[in-house]
Amino acid sequence: MTKKKKTVFVEGPISPSFIANSIEKHQTKTSIGAHDIFLGQVRADQIDGKIVSAIEYSAYEEMAENTFHQIREETFSKFDLTCMHIYHSIGTVKSGEICLFVFVSAPHRRVTFEALEYLVERIKKDAPVFGKEIFDNQTHQWKVNQP
Amino acid sequence: MELKILYFGMIAEITNCSEEVISVFKDCNTTQLEALLEEKYRRLKDISFKIAINQIIADTNIKLKQDNEIALLPPFSGG
Repeated sequence: MTKKKKTVFVEGPISPSFIANSIEKHQTKTSIGAHDIFLGQVRADQIDGKIVSAIEYSAYEEMAENTFHQIREETFSKFDLTCMHIYHSIGTVKSGEICLFVFVSAPHRRVTFEALEYLVERIKKDAPVFGKEIFDNQTHQWKVNQP
Repeated sequence: MELKILYFGMIAEITNCSEEVISVFKDCNTTQLEALLEEKYRRLKDISFKIAINQIIADTNIKLKQDNEIALLPPFSGG
């Protein structure tokens, strides 16, 4: 438990300026030589003639924050990273908007590629987050992550 | 004994509430709780879900205690 516990959930979409700002903050950390970023974006899937206009995210928030914390700790012990940030939307995110922002940094590039993939897969598999796909005709269906 | 149960996602839609307290017999385990809830909410039989006890997924059949925080979790779909 060397790193302090951080909050992952942000209300609504993650704005491009928030992401830019986060990148800018790392310019003072000059031991870093490589960043890698994953951005999850809400797809306007077409299902049975209806189009997904937004995803409404809910979560078992307390368990999810603990899960994110555990995933962070495990990723830090597995990979030689300088820092790591995870932000996930809660509430409504329209199609085309960003719902997940994962950001890893290290002295060299290779570890960032591996750590980022590991992190995103763990988040999808282990975080108790639930997405409700809202269609353009106001009906909905519950999203299930692909393995 | 009484158990507080939390519902999420499509399960909260089926139960029409996000939490409730239900009465179960003493030493009720997760398998028995599952059967009780599927009896109460028939649509639960059609979906896959996991039971978390104190925020940890119960992979095996576990004996429940009155002060456990129990949650029914539908398939995850974060990211």
